[in-house]
Amino acid sequence: MEVFIEKENNQVTASLIGRLDTPASLEIAPQMDSLKEDAGGTIILDCSQLEYISSSGLRIFLALRKAAAEKGGKVIVRSISNEIRSVFMMTGFLNLFEIQ
Amino acid sequence: MSQHVTHDKKFRRNFVRKGSLFVIVAAVTLEATSIIQFYFSRSGMTEEAGLRAESQLEATENRIMDVINQAETAIRNSVWIAQWSLDYPDSLMSVCRRIVEDNSVIMGSTVALVPGYLKKHPLFSPYVCEDADSLRFLSLATPEYDYPSHEWFKSALEAEHSDGTWSEPYIDEGGGEILMTTFSMPVKDYNGRIAAVITADISLDWLSELVGDIHLYPNAFSMVFSRSGQIMVSPINSSIEKMNIQDLEAIAYDSDTADIHRFSDAILSGATGNMVANVKGVRNMIYFDPVERTGWSLSIMIPEQEIFATLRRVEAIVKIFQILGLIMLILILRSFMRGQVKYKELNDKRERMEGELHIASQIQMTMIPKTFPPFPERHDLDIFAHLVPAKEVGGDLYDFLIRDEKLFFCIGDVSGKGVPAALVMSVTRSTFRSVSSHEDSPGKIVTVMNKALSDMNESSMFVTLFCGVLDLKNGHLRYSNAGHNPPYIFTDQIHPLPVDANLPLGIMTGVKFSEQEIPFHYDNAIFLYTDGITEAENAQHEQFGEERMIAVMDVRKGASEHVKALEDKVAEFVNGAPQSDDLTMLFIHFLGLGESAPLGNRLVMHNDINQIPRLEGWLEYLAGEFKFDEMLVPGLNLALEEAVSNVVMYAYPKGTYGYIDLSCSCEDGVLKFILSDSGTPFDPTKKPEVDISAGVEERSIGGLGIHLVRQIMSSVSYEYKDGYNILTMIKNI
Repeated sequence: MEVFIEKENNQVTASLIGRLDTPASLEIAPQMDSLKEDAGGTIILDCSQLEYISSSGLRIFLALRKAAAEKGGKVIVRSISNEIRSVFMMTGFLNLFEIQ
Repeated sequence: MSQHVTHDKKFRRNFVRKGSLFVIVAAVTLEATSIIQFYFSRSGMTEEAGLRAESQLEATENRIMDVINQAETAIRNSVWIAQWSLDYPDSLMSVCRRIVEDNSVIMGSTVALVPGYLKKHPLFSPYVCEDADSLRFLSLATPEYDYPSHEWFKSALEAEHSDGTWSEPYIDEGGGEILMTTFSMPVKDYNGRIAAVITADISLDWLSELVGDIHLYPNAFSMVFSRSGQIMVSPINSSIEKMNIQDLEAIAYDSDTADIHRFSDAILSGATGNMVANVKGVRNMIYFDPVERTGWSLSIMIPEQEIFATLRRVEAIVKIFQILGLIMLILILRSFMRGQVKYKELNDKRERMEGELHIASQIQMTMIPKTFPPFPERHDLDIFAHLVPAKEVGGDLYDFLIRDEKLFFCIGDVSGKGVPAALVMSVTRSTFRSVSSHEDSPGKIVTVMNKALSDMNESSMFVTLFCGVLDLKNGHLRYSNAGHNPPYIFTDQIHPLPVDANLPLGIMTGVKFSEQEIPFHYDNAIFLYTDGITEAENAQHEQFGEERMIAVMDVRKGASEHVKALEDKVAEFVNGAPQSDDLTMLFIHFLGLGESAPLGNRLVMHNDINQIPRLEGWLEYLAGEFKFDEMLVPGLNLALEEAVSNVVMYAYPKGTYGYIDLSCSCEDGVLKFILSDSGTPFDPTKKPEVDISAGVEERSIGGLGIHLVRQIMSSVSYEYKDGYNILTMIKNI
């Protein structure tokens, strides 16, 4: 699991590559937590190369989303696979995020 | 038994023979010592008696010589006056008178003229003798007396007696019937012709007094013999006088005539010396010595028994002590022998009992698995064990068996040594066997064993025991440790297995023994040992210790190589010092269930989050195995991950090992997953549903996992059974 973070003006893009399972979530948690500082702006989670997500990954997404709501920013989830989309559906996450 | 009795008899007989020999040797030695002592004392005493007798003889002789010399000197000094008086015969009487008056020892004296010397008087011999207080003046020239015929006269005329001669003793017929002897000496005229014989008579009364005073020993007595052997002085005065020594034979009854003969010969020849003679039935020592000039012989006769009287007394006392000593020796030997026999009996009994028990423990030992490999048909186990018994019957044990695809194993050490330890050991082993034949939980096995051992344990012996149950289907190792050394676990590293502090077995009943567990993977191993290894001592009393043990274990080897390498290392360290304790090792190398092992319908993980990626591979395998759509894999993966991570995170306390067992079956288009763990009882299905329609602020962070499981699976159910959380997940396909 790898994360690449790009900051541009008021917008941060985090590209998630690989499988975001429980061990991977623990691995990237500190990096993702740091994004909360930018929660006032736009956080784009690029999932084009994300193969898999488990509840621990979803929790990271949700934490960012809550931070954004607090600070008046927004979180955009971009390019999710069908599989991940179905997970989002099952968990009601489709309603919480702006999916592109 | 009868053999044993014969053996005892033999022993006893042998002992009696040896004891008797010992007593005889002691007796002979004592007797020999006393004989030698007696001999030397005897010869010393004989010598002493001889010296005393000789000095007594010499003293007596000197006293006699005093008298003799006085008499002789008086006569010699009177010869010239007698010579001068020859021409005046009437004055001869006064010569005689002077001699008697001036010399107290001389009782009478005469000057007897040779017959015919005077023409007028053919015989002329004036004689003066003492009579009570006065002197008597007589003439011996009477026809009755006829002095020329007397020996004293005749012998003085003989040429060899010109210097005077002493007569044989005789009884004076004229005077007081006393024993006399006479010294006579020739008197020559101026022409050198013998003209007369001058004499001095002396009484021998003083002699018997003198000799009678000799009392060397109570019954010793002295005798004086004249030249011809006549007895002059004897203890039996009257009867024996005038008797000759040669007549002694006749009166000495019960005597050895040969001895008396030798004695009389010795006396008659005037010899000096001593002899042993049997006189009147008594052995006597006789000492004899002649008296100068007179030709007399002095003798002292001492009964031998008087010489040795003291010696005999001492000898008798010594004999009494000897006999007492021998009796005591015999008594001591007897009681010693009894003690020996008893000791031997006890010893034999003990040896027999020990031997029998040794056999018993050996039988037990043969029941302990000793053939390696023990399960040649299995490829998932490599086991090796070795028990090196100490000289004494010891109390180490190990055992293992497989039942229902579970390996039950234990290692134990009974406190103490010898027979009781061996007994407890055998009970421990058989209890382990019987309990593990129906009980799966090591904690329960140990608890039951503890009860059994506590109930029978009156000698308050205890057993440290490690009991493990390795589930060969899933690698789950559950164990319970009752005070034994923690075994070593070989995973990526080597480390001691964390064990709870439980009491050893047999201390008290009713104790519950805790159970622990770890997952076992392919190539993991467990090494169990007793303190006989770590406490093995060399001659310097240094212990082998755990550090040396770990150093040997550092390189991974097969089970038998491992045990043998350690055994060699201990032997090298100890270097021949006697082994004081049993030395036991059990090495179990698990070769089932690994990642490299073929995947099965079962996946065993432990409580490590990093185990989760294994799920994907397993599901892919299952898809192939049960021929379901691969598209289902990500969803199932997610559901299982959620279920498993829930267990990993919450079932086991932090820092402890716990296992997670997943199995899958497929029947009639229904996939059934069973997840089990032995962690804290927890029912995830009881968790409240997450409200997926809630807004961002209201959405809770947790609860998503079980929600996903529910969403993905067709049904989920939970139960808690036998200490296991069991989550059953069904997926219709």
